[in-house]
Amino acid sequence: MKNFDYYKPDTLKEASELLLKLDKSYIINGGTDVVVRLRNELMEPDALINIKEIKSLHEIIEEEESITVGACVTMNEMAHHKAVIHDFGILVDAVHYAGSGQVRNLATMAGNICNASPLADSATPLLVYDAKVLVYSPNGDREIPITEFFKGVRKIALEKGEIVTGVRINKYKSVKGVFRKFSRRKEVDLSTVCSSVASVDGEIKIAFGSVAPIPLRAYKTEEFLKDKELTDEVIKEASKIARTEVSPIDDIRASKEYRLDMVELSVVRGLEHIRDN
Amino acid sequence: MKHKISFILNNEKITHEVESNKTLLSVLREDFDFTGAKEGCGMGECGACTVLVNGQPINSCMMLAVDIEGKEVLTIEGLSRGDVLDDLQISFIENGALQCGYCTPGMIMSAKALLNENPTPTEEDVKHAISGNLCRCTGYQKIVKAIMVVADKNNNQ
Repeated sequence: MKNFDYYKPDTLKEASELLLKLDKSYIINGGTDVVVRLRNELMEPDALINIKEIKSLHEIIEEEESITVGACVTMNEMAHHKAVIHDFGILVDAVHYAGSGQVRNLATMAGNICNASPLADSATPLLVYDAKVLVYSPNGDREIPITEFFKGVRKIALEKGEIVTGVRINKYKSVKGVFRKFSRRKEVDLSTVCSSVASVDGEIKIAFGSVAPIPLRAYKTEEFLKDKELTDEVIKEASKIARTEVSPIDDIRASKEYRLDMVELSVVRGLEHIRDN
Repeated sequence: MKHKISFILNNEKITHEVESNKTLLSVLREDFDFTGAKEGCGMGECGACTVLVNGQPINSCMMLAVDIEGKEVLTIEGLSRGDVLDDLQISFIENGALQCGYCTPGMIMSAKALLNENPTPTEEDVKHAISGNLCRCTGYQKIVKAIMVVADKNNNQ
């Protein structure tokens, strides 16, 4: 691992100024992606800026209409938080299968989405919940809908000097749905395909990971399902449309064909779950 | 870039100087000679490097040593009290829950964290707690049994 400078600012303003001032500088949060990338020299920063000293980023804030999970809240802290469990079951299920317990004690959801892997475990639930990514910006704070956050493999919609401070999710009146992860092992594995299929206040929302350069929503399938009764025929047709919305590749974990089949299966099982429960 | 950090290592207050690019695992092994935690995969999949930080199991290969400032670290070396082994260590020996031994320190630290939180876990709880620790020799049965023996003992107390 090459050497680098390391900073631990107490405030977002300082952290952002460091990012702007220092060349090849990056944020480090839980570190479970960054340290592996450093070790493999996939990343050779001049400076890392640890944001974990910024106290406000460690909070989970419950309000009447939403819950905000701070950027430095670990996946395990989040998955054991009563309000999060109560309102965001699909997210808790997804996070439960992210890495191992050891990883989840360090890793954060904000880090997971900023790493922008096509198969980020927390991405598909956030997509079906239409979560908002909260961003500190030197030009004033802003919010980015999660559906516009991912721009490519390891590319996100942040400008230089901007820092994700948390993720806000609306509390919906009724959510019914499932997260599903297809992987070779049950524990500690990366997704071959992952999906969230949910009925959110009566509207069907579907998201996939690991089948395109970014985790994405299946808008055409959702549009097709609008105001339709979930009959076997409708479900079957929806699952065929979903196949056309993704662009998986062959890789070490599975073939393109297998992934397409799992996309189809995710839609069928997900919609059946919504219909039958 | 060197950093002076203070932390608690196996119940002892430590002040130590580390480079930014050192992992907690390499500092434990190279600077303190605590070689119980091992590097297996170096990417958070095998758990051989598991130590407890503030009571929680983490992969020490994925944490920068500078990040340990102000925290409490417990390694397998800190588990025994002098020559008196921890119940888990005794149970692993008595139940033959190891062969090559490479995964054992990590396995025991994950089990320790579980028992600290829940002294009377079920077998399922135990399997889940060690799911981030790979053992390529034993087939896990004796490991689970060794942990359950301690859990059952706690249950009877």
